[in-house]
Amino acid sequence: MAPNVLYTSCVLGAIAVYLLLRPGHRAVKTVGIVLGLGALGWVARESTAALGTPAEGLPTPFFAVFSLIAIASALRMITHHRPVFAALYFVMVVLSSAGLFLMLEAEFMAFALIIVYAGAILITYMFVIMLAQQAPVPGQESGEAEYDVIPREPAAAVAVGFIMLALLSETIFSGTPQLPPPPTANEHLTASWELLNALPDRVEDAVRREVPDFESFVAEPSDRVRVIDGQAYVDIQVAGVREPQQLGLPPEVLPENIERVGLALIADFPVSLELAGVILLMAMYGAVVLARRQIEASVLDEGGGAR
Amino acid sequence: MSDVVVEPLAGLTLIHFTLTSAILFAIGLIGFVSRRNLIVMFLCTELMFQAAAIAMIAFGRYHLDVSGQVFVIFILTIAAAEAALALGLVVLLYRRRETLSAEAWSELGEP
Repeated sequence: MAPNVLYTSCVLGAIAVYLLLRPGHRAVKTVGIVLGLGALGWVARESTAALGTPAEGLPTPFFAVFSLIAIASALRMITHHRPVFAALYFVMVVLSSAGLFLMLEAEFMAFALIIVYAGAILITYMFVIMLAQQAPVPGQESGEAEYDVIPREPAAAVAVGFIMLALLSETIFSGTPQLPPPPTANEHLTASWELLNALPDRVEDAVRREVPDFESFVAEPSDRVRVIDGQAYVDIQVAGVREPQQLGLPPEVLPENIERVGLALIADFPVSLELAGVILLMAMYGAVVLARRQIEASVLDEGGGAR
Repeated sequence: MSDVVVEPLAGLTLIHFTLTSAILFAIGLIGFVSRRNLIVMFLCTELMFQAAAIAMIAFGRYHLDVSGQVFVIFILTIAAAEAALALGLVVLLYRRRETLSAEAWSELGEP
């Protein structure tokens, strides 16, 4: 795709976001919405044409819907004047990116995202918005604070953001063809089966289900599963038979998404996992310290006869 | 055996997801720079975390590797820790100045 298309649509998008950011008349905002949608649609059309996606030639409708909802709610989030609504639009962004995660076969992360982000972090934000509620000024019935309505340097912010976006998207379009080709179906299947060597109990359970008079494995746990042409085999010793038998494993023994994530977390990143625990502990400690100091301050105020 | 989906991003390419993630990141950056409400500024950082998570998972899917998803778990951890600390600080700051405007703290000192 020609970089000019990218740069032109970035400029159009920048104008659109600028019009939406600054306080203005409804008609101006409509122009901004139309401009933004036009720029987005143009990029989508040009990129699909340039990528030459197979079959229908259009991205899957689910992807189009989820990404459009995510981008639109993110824009509404940074343009809305009330923090509560900004937080609610962020929930929309989280939900639609959970949809994108589902399309990328990351089911566990999609649900973890909804539970942790939409369920826990956003509730914390809601509590803080509630705690830091501004009392409405009598003369001003809208209840919106001045610092929420008037943005700080919107033109400069939009310029910074869209210059970065132009560079990023140019890199994305010129860099992705140089990536190594993704693994083929057979390589992927072989790699998935070989994961089972780290899960000996799972293999043993499956074999016991298949062969009632199973006695023992021939090989050690670390190289028990052999993969030949996308199909996995184990050598087992069956009671009453002298020769070792070869048994093909059924596909439902393959580890699922959550099991693969858990295995990678424990086997490949144990130190990072411990560090994440330390970070959470430190954050909890910090939050307790902050809360404690604040009570002392109010006690001091009362003791000093302030009220 | 055929029910194991292996076609990389069937019909979609890596570019679709990375471009979405780049747009979300840019929007978050614009919001962080231009909004003046402390709470909304922190919400915008969460939006940038979200964009990074989409990119990580898309790259992980492209290489058929779960490390991308593991990194998103760490992103969630950092986001939770950041939200707890930052929001605690915001409440403290609000108690002092009775406003959420970031400009009330441009001098970084006691009044």
